[in-house]
Amino acid sequence: MIRFERVSKHYPGGSRALTDVSFHIEPGSMVFLTGHSGAGKSTLLRLVMMLERASRGQVIVNQRNLGTTPDRLAPLVRQGTGMIFQDHKLLNNKTVADNVALPMMIAGLKYADIRKRARAALDKVGLLDKENAWPLTLSGGEQQRVGIARAIVSMPPLLLADEPTGNLDPGLSRELFRLFEEVSEKGVTVLIASHDLDLVRQMRKRVLVLSNGRLADDIPAA
Amino acid sequence: MVSISHLRRKNRAWLRRHSYSFFSSLGVLLQHKTGTLMTVLVLGIAMFLPLGLYVTLANLDGMNLHQDEWSAVTVFFKTGTRQAEVDRVAGLLEQNAQADKVTIISPAEGLADFRDASGFGGSLDMLEENPLPWVMQVSPPPGSTERVEERVAELTAYLNTIKSIEVTQFDYKWLQRLGRMLELGETLVSFLILLFGIAVVVVVANTIRLDVASHADEIEILALVGAGNAFIRQPFLYTGLWYGLMGGLLAIILLYTALAVLSGPLGLLLETYGTVFVLRGIGGTNMLWLLLCGAGLGWLGAGISVHRYLRLLRVGGQLGRH
Repeated sequence: MIRFERVSKHYPGGSRALTDVSFHIEPGSMVFLTGHSGAGKSTLLRLVMMLERASRGQVIVNQRNLGTTPDRLAPLVRQGTGMIFQDHKLLNNKTVADNVALPMMIAGLKYADIRKRARAALDKVGLLDKENAWPLTLSGGEQQRVGIARAIVSMPPLLLADEPTGNLDPGLSRELFRLFEEVSEKGVTVLIASHDLDLVRQMRKRVLVLSNGRLADDIPAA
Repeated sequence: MVSISHLRRKNRAWLRRHSYSFFSSLGVLLQHKTGTLMTVLVLGIAMFLPLGLYVTLANLDGMNLHQDEWSAVTVFFKTGTRQAEVDRVAGLLEQNAQADKVTIISPAEGLADFRDASGFGGSLDMLEENPLPWVMQVSPPPGSTERVEERVAELTAYLNTIKSIEVTQFDYKWLQRLGRMLELGETLVSFLILLFGIAVVVVVANTIRLDVASHADEIEILALVGAGNAFIRQPFLYTGLWYGLMGGLLAIILLYTALAVLSGPLGLLLETYGTVFVLRGIGGTNMLWLLLCGAGLGWLGAGISVHRYLRLLRVGGQLGRH
């Protein structure tokens, strides 16, 4: 699903974010990405989402070589990827249901279908009773679950999460990771960047460890 | 192979996205009444100024100042010409396509007019006989302002072939001046349309620029979840379109209000010239054009602002950075 072949990324000004990184993530697997802050986790995710282009090497996502994909197709790449952010990135002037509906509005689906699928996604994350609530009235954990509902609503084959448990207590974090596990069991590839090493270890999944922009370790699933 | 049903589905999705932006942008504008009203007011006045001048000129042109008695050629017959000859010439002219309206003024009528107008009544009584000749006023056929000189020239040439006519007189200068003034006015209108058209684009562009800036977070989120430039741009473009449409509508309302207010005093003024005149508006087609142009300019202004912003969202840009 995701293949990196000797990928390097340096930003203008010379700072190196990634150096010679290679790995392959099988479809339907759940993988963690760890490393201290500044190790290159965010840059790696940005490359997969086509927010950034690799300076060297090849990034292949869902059989598409992002290096040769023109800019104008970047939205299409992102539509095929559910993304979950540390700060949720919800629209605070829209209800929970409308936030979840966003990817489907972009795809131009029928209103009736949008409504139905938004409710189904909210049901999956256990927030169906909050569909008409405003995001700011929800707790941090609830907002993150709205973000997950939005990411899975159009059933993308790939789910990315950048520090999804950043602001949550351990109990909630574990709950959230279980939710990701459920999603991955349905055949969705899940890649989660997290610095919460204890929790990552408990999940017994494959872990990619980045250090100073290099792939320092690749721990297989237990 | 791309199937027809696939294309149809794509078209339907496109239509849904557009109808969504179309109505939601209107909804947002109506929500922010004060801001919208102020922008629309500026746009409406900007559009009203050239429109008002255009209508003024169209009305001046429509008054047919250059026709009828204004553009008539005055014909003086030789002294001693009999009425029978004058009537014969009048008959000839009435059958001639180069002449439209013929008015005969007998020496007696001429004298009476002169007596009234000049105040020389007493001295005129001392004359033993009427010194005035037969006079005739002949108008060329109606037509456009530009060609009137040509038509008058043709008419004069014809009149000069008639032996009993002493001299023909026509006030070219006055007509020329009117024609040139109308031309000048038209150039001014074109210039103003250009100038205020730019003003409309700039006003909308600036309003939308602020609008885009205040929605920066929202735009970022849209782009992150896979919205293309078109989807992000649409609501702003439609907002610009609505601004232009509302501005145009306001300009039309202002125009008709002005016409209603002015028609009273103007009627009184024209009455002193013995003219009955009805002020004309701009008509349905022109109204439609105005609204279309307004909408187009609004769209353009919004497009300029959004385009500048969207460059920040390109791959390798600022998108998604904290």
